[in-house]
Amino acid sequence: MDCKKAERFLLRSLDGRLDHENRAMLQAHLENCPSCQKKDSEYRKILSLVRPQTVPEPLPYFKERLLAKLKEKDRTAPALFWVKWAHRAVALSLAAFLLFGAAILLFRPQEPREVSQTERFLLQDENPLGEAASILDQKKAEDRNMMLIFASVGDRDLSRRYRP
Amino acid sequence: MDEKELIRRSQAGDGEAFGVLVERYKGKVFSLAYGFTRDRVAADDLAQEVFIKAYVSLSKFQAKSGFGTWLYRVAVNHIKDYLRKNKRRMKEIPLEKAGDRALASSDLGPEEQRLREGEREIVQAALARLPEKYLVILTLRDIDGLSYEDISGILKLSPGTVDSRLHRARRKLREKLTGRLIRQGGEHGL
Repeated sequence: MDCKKAERFLLRSLDGRLDHENRAMLQAHLENCPSCQKKDSEYRKILSLVRPQTVPEPLPYFKERLLAKLKEKDRTAPALFWVKWAHRAVALSLAAFLLFGAAILLFRPQEPREVSQTERFLLQDENPLGEAASILDQKKAEDRNMMLIFASVGDRDLSRRYRP
Repeated sequence: MDEKELIRRSQAGDGEAFGVLVERYKGKVFSLAYGFTRDRVAADDLAQEVFIKAYVSLSKFQAKSGFGTWLYRVAVNHIKDYLRKNKRRMKEIPLEKAGDRALASSDLGPEEQRLREGEREIVQAALARLPEKYLVILTLRDIDGLSYEDISGILKLSPGTVDSRLHRARRKLREKLTGRLIRQGGEHGL
């Protein structure tokens, strides 16, 4: 057995996890190897020093102090729950407000635009030539001229139209 | 009362049932915390925090492992966080100076006891300088004396990994102490 294997066995033996056969092999190696003997005593010494000599008791009234803290936690938990939700509600309201604002900006109704006469005719599906045809159909030249003059003035006030 | 029933009632918010569980496990949790801190007050605070954490997350306990193993896992994770936050403070005493206070003190009693205290201090300082995973496994096995199977369950490691990690941790600790205990203790062999 080499020293490396001996150290592995040695560490296992500290936990009592070495079977009888391997323990005998380790023992035989240790008897002839001063270096591993030294390691053995060092490990055993370290282990004895690692453990505290005594472990004290927890401070008095451990359970009572703990249960009081838990009770306090339970008491404040609903309040904390609502505080948490209030924070969320504020954030959600703000987000909704911003979304609403953005939607208004994006989809706001366009202001009515001045529509030309041709566009109005098209929108109202009227035949612009209908009126011109009725003017041109006039037999009297005077009537025809007067109607043309009034048509050119505009068609807003139909009452001012010349009607023969 | 049966532990399963106590857990079920604690999960339903029964503080009294949880109190019984606290009585059963407070010694173990405190001892674990003390093994890491060597400070009674800090260990007491840590143990209280561990139980509060356990109470809050008790609904997540699904009895896949024993309650004790689960509680130890909560404790180890909490203590690891504590150690990370207090890393600097834990390494406060330089390894070269560790043991001097005990050795220089005249009110510790017989010479042998003073030497022993000095050596313990040196070992503590060396332990505090180990990587966290080695410190945890050494504390669980060599200080708290938990079985390989328990450590395997708590740290969620295979028994083979527990074995190899523990051996590496002991080797590292021995390396850190080689020369230190010879200088301090003289006749003690290290």
